[in-house]
Amino acid sequence: MIPERAGGRDPGPRRREATDLYATVLEVVKRYHGSARITRVSYGAGMPVDRLRLLVERLVALGLLQSEDLDGRPAFDITARGQEFLDTYWKMRGFVEGLDRLAHDQNPKNRR
Amino acid sequence: MVEGNLRVEKNSTIEADGVVQVAGIAQFTGNVQVVGDLRCRALESEDGRVQVSGNLEVEDRAEADDGELEVGGRFKAGSVDVDQRLTLHGPAETGRLEVGGRLEAESTVTSTRVSVGGRLRVAGKLTAESVEAGGAVDLAEVSLEEMEVGGLIRVERGEVRRRIEVGGKFVSVGPLSFGEFEAGGFAEFRDSATGGSIDVGGVITAAKDLTFTRLHVGGFGEIRGNGKGRDLEVGGRFGVGGSLSLTGTAEVGGRLSVGGPVEAETLEIGGRFEAERAVVRGRVEVGGVVATRSGLKAASIELGHRSSATGPLVGGRVQLNRKASVEDIYGDVVELDRDASARKVVAGDVSLGDGAVVGEVVYIRTLRVSPYAKVRASQQVAQLPPFPL
Repeated sequence: MIPERAGGRDPGPRRREATDLYATVLEVVKRYHGSARITRVSYGAGMPVDRLRLLVERLVALGLLQSEDLDGRPAFDITARGQEFLDTYWKMRGFVEGLDRLAHDQNPKNRR
Repeated sequence: MVEGNLRVEKNSTIEADGVVQVAGIAQFTGNVQVVGDLRCRALESEDGRVQVSGNLEVEDRAEADDGELEVGGRFKAGSVDVDQRLTLHGPAETGRLEVGGRLEAESTVTSTRVSVGGRLRVAGKLTAESVEAGGAVDLAEVSLEEMEVGGLIRVERGEVRRRIEVGGKFVSVGPLSFGEFEAGGFAEFRDSATGGSIDVGGVITAAKDLTFTRLHVGGFGEIRGNGKGRDLEVGGRFGVGGSLSLTGTAEVGGRLSVGGPVEAETLEIGGRFEAERAVVRGRVEVGGVVATRSGLKAASIELGHRSSATGPLVGGRVQLNRKASVEDIYGDVVELDRDASARKVVAGDVSLGDGAVVGEVVYIRTLRVSPYAKVRASQQVAQLPPFPL
């Protein structure tokens, strides 16, 4: 869901890459403030639970997510490193979008 | 009218001429369809999709565990917690509204707090204290206290009184007012926008006027209309199509290009500064190039090593560092460092370092010229001619 581009002059959605998936999961987990269950995250991220589990394991292993037992089941929360990942990811996406637009405006075919 | 609880198993359809009223809890398992209106104290569903074709009124809580809820008519509930998807075709009025996956509303939504794990789309006006979503948000008119979204926000118009925070990208189509604003990546205001502090990690564009207290941009940006605020801080390049009016500082690492006039308290530009004219109450420091049509006026102006200026410089104190090259300078005190040059200097006191070159000097009090500096013509006068700006 994240890679979509809004606006009439955008070239359309791009393919979701691995970094997009990680960012999607981190953003959804962040919304639950420490009580993110895997099923809830799967609904939010639009991803099947089995695939999501693997992804979450990787994020936990890298210290971007942390897991805690909540009523006998694991619940996830984003870590400071996870937030750092998101900040960097979005900043880079912003730059790329800005550069794409400059390139688009510079292209003689797109000038009115 | 059901006096106690109503329990309905999967793949059932309930039809009623009037309103189906349940005094207790309406409990559904699997896919259930209610043709008509439903009114109950609480609604609990599990593992399926509950569709109510008419109005749904839930006094207390509406919960869909591992399931979806779809309401064709008006929806009213004390609180809502749907795991997968909530689809609303009519207007909704709820307390806390929580959806794990996706919330789609074709009409207005009025709620205390809206929290969506994935996507949120509201076609009518959304009124709430707070909106939170993990993924993408597509809204029409909004009246909110705050909004925090992980991915993208697209909003038609309205106001977010306290704070907008978006991880990725923000787009507003119509006029928007807000308190604080923070976007990690990209922000685009397609119509006029008025807000407090604006912080954008990457890139900002405003198609019309933008008003702010502090605008901080990590990358680059532009305002195609007029920019008005207190402070502007940009890491890279920034452009303003109209005027730029600041009560505080403009600090731009790269290039600041303004089509109209500039007003500010102080101006610090690492690279190039372009404007129709600029009037700065305090200090101006430019590392690269100054290019104005009508001039740059400030209490003090300092141009960096090898910098240059076109258009007159008017200051209380004007200082050119080594190898800087300018046209006309008007000031109270003017100093040219080694190898700096000016076409004309009009000032109270003038000091020219080694290798400095000036075409014409008009001064009142002192003219100090290094033996290695060149002045083609100089004139001491009792009163200076009027300065530009």
